[in-house]
Amino acid sequence: MTPEFLLGFIILLIGTVSAAFPKPKTWLNRLINIEIAAWGLMLIMLSYNESLAILTFVAVTGISTFVLVRVIERRSDI
Amino acid sequence: MTDLILIIFGLIAVIGGLATAINKDPFDKLISLGILAGGAIPFIVNRGYMDVAIAVALTVPVTTIFILLICRREIT
Amino acid sequence: MSAVIAPLTSAAPLICGLIALYATIRIVCEKNTLKKLPHLNVMNFAIAASIALLVNHWLALIVAVAYFVGSTLEANAIASAWSGGLKDD
Repeated sequence: MTPEFLLGFIILLIGTVSAAFPKPKTWLNRLINIEIAAWGLMLIMLSYNESLAILTFVAVTGISTFVLVRVIERRSDI
Repeated sequence: MTDLILIIFGLIAVIGGLATAINKDPFDKLISLGILAGGAIPFIVNRGYMDVAIAVALTVPVTTIFILLICRREIT
Repeated sequence: MSAVIAPLTSAAPLICGLIALYATIRIVCEKNTLKKLPHLNVMNFAIAASIALLVNHWLALIVAVAYFVGSTLEANAIASAWSGGLKDD
């Protein structure tokens, strides 16, 4: 039980609950709360010794945020 | 000594996560997300993955600026 | 010589961490959004110094520089979007 695993589990729990039930129920709050869960999952990945997995996960999180922003922007114009 | 500073950084990360979940204004949420990133990056450095830490520290502002593109449209 | 430097080196990241914790508490207790940003800068500087002092490795300096540049850019982007400066162009 490394400290990264415990901290990542706490942050992943906070992020999952707050992304499932956002307080003002808008898409922007949900998109920001997903980032908390991504940080918690990255800390859990840090507990195991795989550096390439963390690198790929961080890059994919950035790209998926870009894709979600593009989709939401196009959808809100219509 | 090393354990005490890890407890401090963990406290900063948990405070940032709770503040991100509780705040209602999108700009306050992004500021609290910066606190969460600042608390989490020293754990990567302490583990010894310096190249991963460089990549994470350069990827986080790009993600924040992507979210700011629709925050401005939301306010106006 | 080494015995004098060694406790100072081990206590320096702890002081920077305490400064970062104090700045975090100030950010959370502040109500105004614009007044949160200087305290965010204080926390970013303290964490960059703490990263550089935490590990005795030469790549830690580059990590501290990268985090410094990135977090300063992030805070300035938030301030610029809050005041709506880029919208008028």
